[in-house]
Amino acid sequence: MSKQRTDGREGTASRRAFLAAAATGVTGALAGCAGIGGGQEAGNQAGVSGETLTLTTTTSTYDTGLLDEIHTDFEEMYGVTVDAVAQGTGAALESARNGDSDVVMVHARGLEDEFMRNGYGVNRRDLMFNDFVIVGPESDPAGIQGMDSATEALTTIAEAEAPFVSRGDNSGTHTKELNLWEAAGTEPGGDWYQETGTGMGEALNVANQQDAYTLSDRGTFISQRSEIDLTILVQGPIEDGPEILANPYGIMAVNPGVHDNANYDLAMAYIGWITSPGTQEAISNYQVNGEQLFFPEAVSEDPDFQQYVPEGWSSNSTDG
Amino acid sequence: MPLDAVAQFAPAVVEFPFREGYVSSIIYVSLYVSLIAVTLSTLFSVPVALVMGFTDFPGKQFVQSVINTGMGFPSVVVGLLVLFAVSNQGPLGTFDLIFTKEAMIISQFVLATPPITAISLAALTGVNANVRDAAHVLGGTRIDVALVVIKEARYGIATAILAGFGRAISEVGSVLIVGGNITSADGISKTRTLTTAIQLEARQGRYETAMVLGAVLVTLVLTINAVVVRLGSDEVSGR
Amino acid sequence: MIDLSRVSKAYDEEPVVEDVSLSVEPGEVVAIIGPSGVGKTTLLRMLSLSLEPDAGTVELDGDAVWDADEERRLALRRRVGMVFQEASLFDATVARNVEYGLRVRRGWDDRLRDGLRSVLSSNGTPDAVEEALDVVGLDDKLRQEADSLSGGEAQRVSFARALAYEPEFLLLDEPTSDLDPRNTGLIEEAISEARDRGLGVVVATHDMHQAERIADRVGVLLGDGVTEIGPTETIFEHPTDERTRKFISGELVY
Repeated sequence: MSKQRTDGREGTASRRAFLAAAATGVTGALAGCAGIGGGQEAGNQAGVSGETLTLTTTTSTYDTGLLDEIHTDFEEMYGVTVDAVAQGTGAALESARNGDSDVVMVHARGLEDEFMRNGYGVNRRDLMFNDFVIVGPESDPAGIQGMDSATEALTTIAEAEAPFVSRGDNSGTHTKELNLWEAAGTEPGGDWYQETGTGMGEALNVANQQDAYTLSDRGTFISQRSEIDLTILVQGPIEDGPEILANPYGIMAVNPGVHDNANYDLAMAYIGWITSPGTQEAISNYQVNGEQLFFPEAVSEDPDFQQYVPEGWSSNSTDG
Repeated sequence: MPLDAVAQFAPAVVEFPFREGYVSSIIYVSLYVSLIAVTLSTLFSVPVALVMGFTDFPGKQFVQSVINTGMGFPSVVVGLLVLFAVSNQGPLGTFDLIFTKEAMIISQFVLATPPITAISLAALTGVNANVRDAAHVLGGTRIDVALVVIKEARYGIATAILAGFGRAISEVGSVLIVGGNITSADGISKTRTLTTAIQLEARQGRYETAMVLGAVLVTLVLTINAVVVRLGSDEVSGR
Repeated sequence: MIDLSRVSKAYDEEPVVEDVSLSVEPGEVVAIIGPSGVGKTTLLRMLSLSLEPDAGTVELDGDAVWDADEERRLALRRRVGMVFQEASLFDATVARNVEYGLRVRRGWDDRLRDGLRSVLSSNGTPDAVEEALDVVGLDDKLRQEADSLSGGEAQRVSFARALAYEPEFLLLDEPTSDLDPRNTGLIEEAISEARDRGLGVVVATHDMHQAERIADRVGVLLGDGVTEIGPTETIFEHPTDERTRKFISGELVY
């Protein structure tokens, strides 16, 4: 930049300088946005370098922040980008069914089984688990504190007609809740039972305002604990509660036989990485508000063969 | 930077919990998608409005009712339609548009076009017929007359564009469905806009944080409106 | 010469002009007089080659206008200029208004070049624009916004706008009916100037005295077609038709 002219054309000179700076800034920003992939050197060896993996998962999984925490490692290792799309259980599976994603991570075993049976998913692995808890107001009007049967707790709430908030959105949590009611042999209904159709965080807020009970995954509850006055009344298996409240996560690759444009190579690399000892340890180290949220399941001396097939499948059965 | 000003006014208990670059990246995506969608929509809508206003063709009534319906069309339904189109299974599946900014641009284009067309149409047909005649009689071709009419109606058209922009940048449902609300692992937005970021905070119950983002969005919209109005009044007062 | 031969025009089945024949040659001023609403504007629009009659022919120098294709029609139309009762100026500066006719007659690449040049520098009004404004005495108002002009000034600019591209014919539709005497005088002077330059001028007016002042020939339109066309003196002093005589003497009131 030459020194300022003093013949009254300073305005033009500084305007030009601004334009030049702006142009550089815009170019730099665009270049920066284009280069998100990162880790080009390591990835240059891998045949998938530069590609994007689309992962669909549930909102409660995504909202724990776990994925953002661990994905950088995978992205740098292979020189790729992971697009994590938080959609809710049903939508995540539907996207995978349509071939809009390459790998799907949900925690609804029944729906995962159906997905596999219909041929949309292959190479399922158990990934990790956490659990559900039944929370409610400290006053505990229905008196369910410390019960060791989740189904009995729900029945008690129904009989007391104490206010209960349900997700009502066919999410993994909602599906679990419906399964519990079914196992309890009670059909929920009436003014005390409210279906919100919202995410877990919002549902907890509603329950908080109404002094109501609700079923929540532990992770979301922990993240919100400081902002609401609800407390855990029935524990999940992590804290020695009933096993029925377990919340296992599975991961599956989209079947390239059904969608030939699914990025199967990268999906398998991802599944391999996330079930590896290193990443499983990273998962168990992940904490929110000082508490561990997820318990790894993929690595075991004694693998559970049931993880690869729909529940109830055996080589003797006529399941397809 | 307006961001700091907004953060100052947020209640003291609200920390600004965002990683560096997060908010500017979602502002970038919001503006990128909305500005491109509105520009494309204007280039499409104004000629359509000209044709609607000054020519007769079979099916004109039908087009008019499509525009009117489009004004109030639920945006989330547009999202579903665009999703259906760009999904791997859909007619545009080969272009790999699902979960991209381009798909978001498509849905915002569909949403912005009816108001831009309808308001431009009103502005263009409101131009004094004598002025239009003058442009023709003085030797203008059809294109010359069209350009004169557009120029006479420029304030109305600017209003139309602002209305379309407002609709586009406030969009949540459809851009959420077709965009996927994606950021990179270190928080740089790929398809997350201010509105979908607000939705994400709200669904987690983080309403105060959502409000902060909401304030950013409102500030952005007000600023853009103010700039456009200012440019218009500069012209009127004759710089 | 523009020649209207037995033209008729009806709007919504209401006849407005019936079986009228009228012509104008270069270097003369023809006034069309008659009460408001009798069809003067329609006739003028036909003369401007912008309105097709339901019946009859329109010819410019022997060229049948409405038999020609659109390109040819545009070329013919561009030889005519028009001033309207309301100035109908564009929402822009005076200079930009007056140069409109010149601008649209240039090719697009020339126009783009002009446009770029005017963005980068701020001078360069075509001479024709300044000259045309000079005729109406407004050459000092080049940069002024059109919407800040008085009624009289606006009408004079409208005149300059029609003159700037040097048409062969100039049509004026009640140009001074809303103006004060001073501006009326300026417009009438400009009309004379145009005629002296060789233009064929047609002025529609309901002001008989104006017609007497400025016209070489007068056509009287009384509602069933032109009743008389002839030299001004003849019409005013020896009208042949009873209705003409009554109109001129003020007996027929519309």
